[in-house]
Amino acid sequence: MPEIIKVDNLIQVYGDGTKAVDDISFTIREGEFFGFLGPNGAGKSTTIKILTTLLAKTSGSVTVAGYNVDKEPQNIRKIIGVQSQETVIDADLTGRENLTLQGHFQQMRSNMLRERVDELLKLMDLQEVADKRARNYSGGMKKRLDLASILVHKPKLLFLDEPTTGLDPQSRNVIWEYLEKLNKEENITMFLTTQYMEEADRLCRKLSIIDNGRIVISGSPKELKQQVGADSIKLSYENDESKNVTNEKAKKILGEIQGVTNILDSDGGLTVYAKNAGFIIPDIVRAFDKQKIKLTSVNFSSPTLDDIFLKHTGRRIRTEELVQNPKGGIFSRRRR
Amino acid sequence: MTLIHDTRYLFMRSLKKLIRNPILLFFSLFQPIIFLLLFTQLFSKFASIPDFPAESYLAFATPGILLQNAFSSALQSGTSIVDDLDSGYLHKMLVTPVSRSAILLGRLTSDAFRVTIQSLIILGLAYLLGTSVVTGIGGLLLILATIAFFGLAWSGISLAIGLRTKNSESVFGIGAFLTFPLLFMSTALTPLSFMPEWIQNVSNFNPISYTVNAVRALMLNGYEWNTIIAAYAVIGLIAVLTLGATLYLFRKVIN
Repeated sequence: MPEIIKVDNLIQVYGDGTKAVDDISFTIREGEFFGFLGPNGAGKSTTIKILTTLLAKTSGSVTVAGYNVDKEPQNIRKIIGVQSQETVIDADLTGRENLTLQGHFQQMRSNMLRERVDELLKLMDLQEVADKRARNYSGGMKKRLDLASILVHKPKLLFLDEPTTGLDPQSRNVIWEYLEKLNKEENITMFLTTQYMEEADRLCRKLSIIDNGRIVISGSPKELKQQVGADSIKLSYENDESKNVTNEKAKKILGEIQGVTNILDSDGGLTVYAKNAGFIIPDIVRAFDKQKIKLTSVNFSSPTLDDIFLKHTGRRIRTEELVQNPKGGIFSRRRR
Repeated sequence: MTLIHDTRYLFMRSLKKLIRNPILLFFSLFQPIIFLLLFTQLFSKFASIPDFPAESYLAFATPGILLQNAFSSALQSGTSIVDDLDSGYLHKMLVTPVSRSAILLGRLTSDAFRVTIQSLIILGLAYLLGTSVVTGIGGLLLILATIAFFGLAWSGISLAIGLRTKNSESVFGIGAFLTFPLLFMSTALTPLSFMPEWIQNVSNFNPISYTVNAVRALMLNGYEWNTIIAAYAVIGLIAVLTLGATLYLFRKVIN
């Protein structure tokens, strides 16, 4: 498959001196489902803005579908569809009018456009509300209309900036199914940014983790998980003294157990990494017993993307923070 | 071609949004209509003062009220671009190949259309109250064109403020701050000879006076070309400045 995005040594420095993107390079092939994973402010949105011709880069070379972002932005705009994290539709227009207007922006002919709009309204299950003003749509319907609106001109490449942020689990699942279908059946290349590990794991076949403007690691979810190379055991226990003392003590005990490769703090306890962790759980329990520390729970899991994230960025993303994610994406004025 | 095509659809979008938010229309028409119905009654005795240049105060003030109407609807132009910036819709357009100029042109043409319709409503009301245009249909069309042109120049101010401050309150605040002093220190509502000398001096430099004098000539006296050409020259100058500023700030926002 030929390359559809090629980024070499991309650097973006903002007026105030902030280095939002610090020398990144990557390529994406046609038909790929690519995920850009990183916390807020990592440089995801800035990268998307450059790729979608919204922002002029500081330096480096960027081509999309063979077109240079600086010299041929109009050609790029004809083949891409861009969805921002916040739902962007014109609430005063009906669903049908929203889609039709997007088609006009792409210079589509009226009869073709009419058919395409009907097709999308059907695909997104919006037929019944097609002629109602979008203001009255539910959150999930608005999101589907937004997604439909970037598909009107049959783009080859979709940019999805945190497409399911703020959605309830059911709506999120629906969007995931649409995205998978578009990727598989229509061979649309997907460039997705997300903070959700689950989303990246389910959808993406290739991932890059970005932190502080740099790509820290790339690969398929499976490869990345193998790289961590260890299962994890989450422990929580009762603290009789002040927490720190017990934590230190627990770490010391765990450090002496054979097979443990890493110990990290996690919410309300510790996460222990080990190859074949199943075998050392009895050792852990015995050691804690001996020191009279009461274990309250032991959870065992195979490597997840969350572990990879933690390993490479030193941070874990908490679900609660995601739900309350502040407004602001690539189309909004707040820049990342 | 693309420019005309895109402008057409963006023009339609603006109009649809306006019709579906009648409260906005109400707000911009409310003040001029109150002026037309109440203010002209309040000052009706003005007309009996010797040297008053019109038959009735209503006939005299209608051109000024038309200008006021152009002011208040132009103010909403700036807030609409702030809305598109805030919602992200502007950038949603910018990732498509839509003509960049059409984004502004669609806005401006719909503003001009809107102010024309509103002017017709005001002129219709004024007609019902007993004043008409002496120059007939030709003069009426020229009046509408003059007001629309003035409205465009004024939209330029509110668009520029909107693009600069990115804040609707600022657009309204600065707009209101400009509107009344400019209106009162012009010949919009008072004959020049009735003003204290210092306001006369301000009025002679006030673009509102030039515009209102031309409209008033067309309504009450006839085609006074000197006055009309002066008005177009002044509006043209303002338009170059305000629309130039708008274009400059718009380019800054989209890059």
